[in-house]
Amino acid sequence: MKDVWPPRTPAYVQQGLVNMKNEMKRWVVAAVVILVGVEAWVYRGLNGDVWINAPATEEYVSVKKTDPNGTGEPAKLCTSGYEVWRQQHEIDGVNVNESPRCEPDNPWAVAAVVKGTNNVSMKTLMQTRLASDAVIKSDDLDGDGDPDVIHIKLEVSELNGSSPDGDRFLPTYEIAPGVQPGLWVFTPKTRGMAAINLFSYEAIRDLRAPSPVIRVEQGDIVKITLENTHYLPHTIHLHGVDHPYVNAAGEGNDGVPLTDERPVLPGDRKTYTLKPRQTGTMFYHCHVQTAKHLMMGLQGMFVVEENRPNNWLQTLNVGAGYVRHSSVAVKASYEHEYDLHYQSIDNDLNSIIQKANDPRLIARRMNREYDITDATSDYFLLNGRSFPYTLRESIIVVRPDENVKLRVLNGQENVLSLHTHGHKATITHLDGIERPRAQQVIRDVYDLSSAQRMDLRLSTQNDGLHSYGPGVWLFHNHAEKGITTNGRGPGGDISMVVYRSYLENDGMPKLQGVGVDRFLDPEYNAGNIPIWEGSEATSLLGEAGSVEPDAWRVVMLGLVFGIIVGLLSLLRTSVAGPGRGMK
Amino acid sequence: MSRLLIGCMIGLIAVTSTVSAQEIKRSLVIPYEGESKVKVRHSMDMDGMIMNENKDRLPDGCKEISGDLQFTVHAGRKYAARFPGKMFAYDQQEWEVEPCSRITVKFVNDDHIRHQFMIHGLPEYLYPPTGMFTIEVTGPGSKTATFIVPDEPKTFLVHCELAQHMEKGMKAQMKVGQGDGDIASIPGLTPVENPDSYRVDWTASRWVYLVLAMLAGLGAVLGFRFYRRDKAGQ
Repeated sequence: MKDVWPPRTPAYVQQGLVNMKNEMKRWVVAAVVILVGVEAWVYRGLNGDVWINAPATEEYVSVKKTDPNGTGEPAKLCTSGYEVWRQQHEIDGVNVNESPRCEPDNPWAVAAVVKGTNNVSMKTLMQTRLASDAVIKSDDLDGDGDPDVIHIKLEVSELNGSSPDGDRFLPTYEIAPGVQPGLWVFTPKTRGMAAINLFSYEAIRDLRAPSPVIRVEQGDIVKITLENTHYLPHTIHLHGVDHPYVNAAGEGNDGVPLTDERPVLPGDRKTYTLKPRQTGTMFYHCHVQTAKHLMMGLQGMFVVEENRPNNWLQTLNVGAGYVRHSSVAVKASYEHEYDLHYQSIDNDLNSIIQKANDPRLIARRMNREYDITDATSDYFLLNGRSFPYTLRESIIVVRPDENVKLRVLNGQENVLSLHTHGHKATITHLDGIERPRAQQVIRDVYDLSSAQRMDLRLSTQNDGLHSYGPGVWLFHNHAEKGITTNGRGPGGDISMVVYRSYLENDGMPKLQGVGVDRFLDPEYNAGNIPIWEGSEATSLLGEAGSVEPDAWRVVMLGLVFGIIVGLLSLLRTSVAGPGRGMK
Repeated sequence: MSRLLIGCMIGLIAVTSTVSAQEIKRSLVIPYEGESKVKVRHSMDMDGMIMNENKDRLPDGCKEISGDLQFTVHAGRKYAARFPGKMFAYDQQEWEVEPCSRITVKFVNDDHIRHQFMIHGLPEYLYPPTGMFTIEVTGPGSKTATFIVPDEPKTFLVHCELAQHMEKGMKAQMKVGQGDGDIASIPGLTPVENPDSYRVDWTASRWVYLVLAMLAGLGAVLGFRFYRRDKAGQ
């Protein structure tokens, strides 16, 4: 018998086996069901629950923070090297004030828009990227020594848009380290490439948020030509600025497709004309699909200055911020003038242009699928940047006993609760209208609804009211979302009032807290760095480590799984009936 | 109510008098549930406070002091360093003492904030009104006080009662005569009842365990099957 395989079995044994197998089948099925339950229970226990000793703190090591360029040098917020640009200049007879911050405006570009790109020397114009017809100034109509016919040409630029040629944005514009939301901006008419050079995707300096501040004189004949270089229709609506509903030819001049004009199609141009009779800090924006186009960034500050003799104005303040050539009237009352333009960005809206290239898809997603009533803002900009980049451009530099004029525009979807540390400023104008002197209140939180403007007089008189004395004093939106970048802070629109005695040579504030360089790591804005990383609290409050799954549970899991598989195979062979399976 | 007011006023006087930095000892009258009034022995100065110090009154069941123990207990952030995820701790988490011991605690605060050495569950007739003995030190420094533990085996909770200090690690237990069990969530000592969940990292060793265990399970069944087949075949 031992030589025969399979062995022959007597019939009564075979029958017994069949009975046994049927009996066993039920037992096996029951066992499998129970074991599956056990398996689920073991698996549930394989969570990260810790009962006694919590895992140790993990050390976070960021390559970028410690060595951003692979040069062995730690990251530094200010590396611009704009020493010459920071100085005071006399360019083509135009005085350009000192601008002692890390990244000052190009003084030649300031001179060009003060004098007019048609009047300035070619040598100066070549120091800029402006087109020769970007700002044309002529005709001293009232004979007071300054030009009164001003022709401004604006283009529409997309920043951080998509590319069909690769997974990248073009041209790039960073609002904060590693943060590149899609944006549309009005830009001065420029010449040449949108990128800084052939080997870069980075946008040139003039292509940036916010849309430039436009400054004209009361009574000037102003022409603003919108050259629609974008791929969707746009207009310009002059919000709060005195302008006729129709121009001399009877064409719409209000920029509103619903009422008075057809939108300017891609490749077309349209000139708006006005002769503003009233002064003040106003607003301009695209009025096509306003809810979306305005929030995409097609919005800017519009300032009408008093008519004064020899009042050559800085017609464009690209990127807003410090005004390096203020009007005669402002200079008479203030040492310095700043344009502060606040914006908010909902990434659900702004990323639409990064996820499709076909303008029809973009139009569909933006205007029919995106629901702004469900929108929440993710990014908050002061003059086109979020902290810490705000500190390169938009710090307010003061000395004791100065008066500084701040023009504030709230281009956000929400209320702006601007707060100045160490200072209480006076609200002199609201929506461009001067307040009666008795109503010029002093506050430390200045609230502005969407699209409103406010002029503030920031006095640095150290009297415990207007100023508490020299220092580095924050100013920021106190609606707390506003000081975050996608919810993580410090971020958003935080900037600083910096007294000269607290200013480094490179234009950065002297700080004695945790500093700002550590916020340069894009991993910070990506939410990957424990918030107190880099300080002495790291060991206490750093990243909680992970735990290994419990060894015994892992063994149980495997064991039970193996048994289930084995039992199932048993079941499969045993159902085949006599003659197979468990012979 | 009027008693409460009087109690509060006396308390206020006690607090305000500390400006002189002179230690004051008073008996506060504090009403509490079930009894008209009890006397809380209380001393307080600028450096801290001691409640219900007891050097000589024996608990019921103690015929005499079984022994005199001197403990120095440190409190501070630095003692939490060895317990990841905790922020404050004592330098020790457990004491074992004989019943009827007289314990003198020198409580040292190594932080720049207030900490307490507080024991709950002592006899209420000696530590009124709720059976609590407390040393509180308001900042860097120390205070020393004495208490006597009862005769039955019991585990007493020692903790700091500032908001969230116990939860964040300043928790210990004192076992009298082997105690009567453990108190939950003492750092490094006893399990919590409501665990935090951490990221799970499947290390190589765990994968090896899993695969080996699966093979073992499978092998066990198949082995059993072949064993049965052989048996049936014969």
